[in-house]
Amino acid sequence: MSDREQNQNEDRELEQMRNLLKSAVPPRIDAEPRRDLWPQVLRRLDNAPERVPWWDWVLLGGAIVAACAFPGVLPALLYHL
Amino acid sequence: MNKHLYLRAYLAGIAVPTMFLLVAVMPGYTILRYVFNFPVPVERVIMFPMAVVPNLWGLWNIVFVAWREKLRMPIGLHGLLLVFLLAPLGITLVSLLDFSVPHIVLSALPVLAPVALIAYYLAWKYLVNGLNGVLGIA
Repeated sequence: MSDREQNQNEDRELEQMRNLLKSAVPPRIDAEPRRDLWPQVLRRLDNAPERVPWWDWVLLGGAIVAACAFPGVLPALLYHL
Repeated sequence: MNKHLYLRAYLAGIAVPTMFLLVAVMPGYTILRYVFNFPVPVERVIMFPMAVVPNLWGLWNIVFVAWREKLRMPIGLHGLLLVFLLAPLGITLVSLLDFSVPHIVLSALPVLAPVALIAYYLAWKYLVNGLNGVLGIA
């Protein structure tokens, strides 16, 4: 094989390799959002809070009373939170 | 906001115990241990509330988001079930590390189960659900 043929083969292999790499790597997409999302987060935070039913207040009160009556509950509860 | 649903679910789940850890758990344990000389080497088991609990909350919220269409379970009830996973894990870790649980904690164990269930139910129903709403996955 002459030097010229060898160079042509190498160029062809390089071109194939370049095409393979291009097909394997996905095109770069701009990761930044198109608009500022913070106002949307603030709007959601400002939405009217969920109404708390009475039984949830009873549960919360019961848990607080139990924790006050048995303070040993607190370290174990903190350990699991 | 439809991208990375599970990543957002993980972040919403992990946020609550992480904030609670900074605000209540770490200061509480530090004050007990170094101000009041509480004779318990808490630093041996602190890894559990610092690493295991927040990550499990995040993963549990991913499970909720992934299965909510199939199971249709309220998020408070779903969060409450996490106690049944975390409590055995915590007890196993304590026993493996040969950690001596103070008597005051042992005597309060029968009360701990209902209090923990209520705390988890309320935390998931209001805090995690609220964060899910803010992140657009409620």
